[in-house]
Amino acid sequence: MIDPIFQSGNYQLARTLLDAAALRQEAIASNIANAETPGYRRLDLAPDFAAQLKSRCLAGELSSGAGKLQPTLAQDPNARSIRPDGNSVEIEKELLSMNKNAVEYQFLADVVSGNIKQLKMAITGRAS
Amino acid sequence: MNLISGVDITSGALTAQKIRLDIVAQNIANAQTTRTPEGGPYQRKIISFENELVKRAGGASLETVNVASITNDKSPGQAVYNPQHPDAGPDGTVMMPNVNLAFEMVDLITASRAYEANLSVVKNARTLAMKALEIGK
Repeated sequence: MIDPIFQSGNYQLARTLLDAAALRQEAIASNIANAETPGYRRLDLAPDFAAQLKSRCLAGELSSGAGKLQPTLAQDPNARSIRPDGNSVEIEKELLSMNKNAVEYQFLADVVSGNIKQLKMAITGRAS
Repeated sequence: MNLISGVDITSGALTAQKIRLDIVAQNIANAQTTRTPEGGPYQRKIISFENELVKRAGGASLETVNVASITNDKSPGQAVYNPQHPDAGPDGTVMMPNVNLAFEMVDLITASRAYEANLSVVKNARTLAMKALEIGK
């Protein structure tokens, strides 16, 4: 009876995405720290992470194997360097994606929280 | 895994930008210094950064910024005709420092904006960590 809540697709998906959001925060920290390093290429989550997650969601195997899906970082291939020193960081974009990432993280934390609250309610029979 | 993700990267950049501000302050303070222990007018200092590997995460290396070196700008300063000056040469000219106030002000603004950007990363990471601690409450 306990297993289904922690094994449910939503919970596993939120967990994997939380890991991804925490990793992206590190990538953005590195990008902003190196905003003036010549030749630095911006880091972001590897594009194949989203593809893999999508295919697993569609196949419905998230509850069984999502723990194995690890988000990875890679140099952003789409970022074009508009500066002569070859650096591809645009500070405004980084700050925007940092804020977006924070909202995403808070939402996911709420989802996980909600799942745990449901379980608590089932155990105690009381709301909150 | 750090609880507050990314601060170990940001802290290096914050220190580096702060030292850059110190150098700007030194250059502006010495914009009129014509006598130094090494002899000759003050030479403006240039700071250069290097990146340093902090850790590997998710298959990519995360790098922070460090101060690599502080060197002298060797370009000559202006020669100003001022025979009353105690450091004037036999022809009545004084070699002034090669500090350009406009350059220094631009550097000052760039450094403080970079500092602010890094500081906002710290604030953001803190919000995330606080949210993570609230899970299940």
